[in-house]
Amino acid sequence: MKNLTIILLFTLSLPSFALVKKAERYYLKSKSRNKNAYIAQELYKSRYYFSAVVFAKEHLIEGKTFSKEFENLLEELVLKTGTMSFYGLNEKVLSRYPSPSLHFIRGLRLFNYKKYKGAISALKKVPRDHRFSPEALFMLGSAQNLVQDFASARTSYEQCTKKAESLENQSKNEKLKRYFAIVRESCIIHQARLLFKERKYAASLKAYDNIPKTSYRWPYILLEKAWAAYHLGNYNRTLGILVTYRSPLMTSYFFPEAEVLSSLAYFKLCLWDDSLQLIDQYYNVYRPHSDALKSILAANKSSHTYFLKMLTRPIKEMESLNPFVRNLMTQVRKRVKFSLDLVNYKKAKNELKYVNKLKPSAFTRKLKKAIEGGVSWRTKHLNHYIKRQMFSFINDMHRFSYEMFNIKLEVMSLQRDLVYNNRELISTRSRGSHKNVSRTSNEHFFVFTGEFWGDELGEYSFGLKSNCKRVKKIKEINTKALKESGEENKS
Amino acid sequence: MKNLILTLTLILSFSSLAQGTKRKKNVVIKYKQYESFDLGNLEIKGKIIAPGDLSVKERQRKRFSRPLFERDDFDPEVRRDIQNLR
Repeated sequence: MKNLTIILLFTLSLPSFALVKKAERYYLKSKSRNKNAYIAQELYKSRYYFSAVVFAKEHLIEGKTFSKEFENLLEELVLKTGTMSFYGLNEKVLSRYPSPSLHFIRGLRLFNYKKYKGAISALKKVPRDHRFSPEALFMLGSAQNLVQDFASARTSYEQCTKKAESLENQSKNEKLKRYFAIVRESCIIHQARLLFKERKYAASLKAYDNIPKTSYRWPYILLEKAWAAYHLGNYNRTLGILVTYRSPLMTSYFFPEAEVLSSLAYFKLCLWDDSLQLIDQYYNVYRPHSDALKSILAANKSSHTYFLKMLTRPIKEMESLNPFVRNLMTQVRKRVKFSLDLVNYKKAKNELKYVNKLKPSAFTRKLKKAIEGGVSWRTKHLNHYIKRQMFSFINDMHRFSYEMFNIKLEVMSLQRDLVYNNRELISTRSRGSHKNVSRTSNEHFFVFTGEFWGDELGEYSFGLKSNCKRVKKIKEINTKALKESGEENKS
Repeated sequence: MKNLILTLTLILSFSSLAQGTKRKKNVVIKYKQYESFDLGNLEIKGKIIAPGDLSVKERQRKRFSRPLFERDDFDPEVRRDIQNLR
């Protein structure tokens, strides 16, 4: 059986080896204008995708010819090696050809440089039936959203949802299916965000409800839903949605902003003690997190490989890390871009192994050098990606710490005003009641008994009564005075 | 005529100077040792043009509230989603 497998593998690898040889011969002898395009084609056929990219890029830079076959090759290479392979080409080269794949990459590049108008014009050139059209529409909608063209953004997002859904249904590969599901859900979430931006909070909440709880995006949108409820003045719902993050199922998710929003909701309900308690808790919980992250970052900030190595370590080895850092790593690993880039990085490394085995020649030396450069760049890129996520988390913690401090100051200022005006809040601590829960027709009411049930997650609401009524502080003074006089009499 | 006026003026000024030195020696100033005022009996004639009582009204304190954190959009997340897509 073992021998049979070896023979089979050898027989299968023979044609690809022959094609590499063919490409090499062409590289050494041909003087054709399409030399690089032809070599790229042959390397692609032999499954040397990252090697093919080297010659495809050279062909694009030379700018001699551009055929439909070459466009198909580009499309395949982008799919097999990722958008980053062609991302480094300059603006002139990317805009020179009538290529939807290059328009897509140019759109992505301009979007990342915040040149949204340029991105819009590039992305509009990607045909609606193209393989990248769901992503192109998603990006187009986002660029239109950011230049305040809400009507066009909505249309683009709607088209993106439909297109991604149809591709999701057509796909037989489970991973591809999941990928298009993520694109579809992203478009729905962006529609909800658009409504939020237009201050249509109720409609926004409805749009968010289209994301199933099983979606990988769902934990992230809870915070956004909580904000929509907050703007609707439904502070109890805000607190209820945010309490979902305390469920054991959500331990790997932590959002400093959620703590600020909870504190703000308590503040709006004039439950100042609860608000202050949350603020203290924030400092107590997030300071050790911040310190743990800082210690890792400070020691390895100049390393180009440390974070990538840390993330690709087996889970058993990760156990020695701070649980918070481990959870942060889990969050990073779940990101689509990271997963795709990591897969492509591994593929590139694997291809380098095969290139190293080829007989040394000017051709193979060129391939080796180019792929080694590519692998090195991808390593740095991935490492930087993880490092950036960590830094942005620390920055978020500090930023929200400042916001928490502001709330604390405001509470103290209001408390001082009460004292000056000889007033007090109607109650020092409002109790919950289901009377204070506002709900729509499709929402049910169950009492929370300290257990988080999967199907209930995200559906909670507090029942706290607003404590904002101010009353004259006569009672307390009288009782105090009475007590004091009583004590004096006794003595 | 001119000389006559000058002579007359000189004579008059000498006589007044002589009188002044005489008076200075005799002046004795005496102050009242006790004086009482019955404020209730005092009458002031005139019209009242100011409010009758002295009062200080408490000024409405201007409250400057701090700009607390608010979310108006999710634009940073929109950008981040694209960066995390491909």
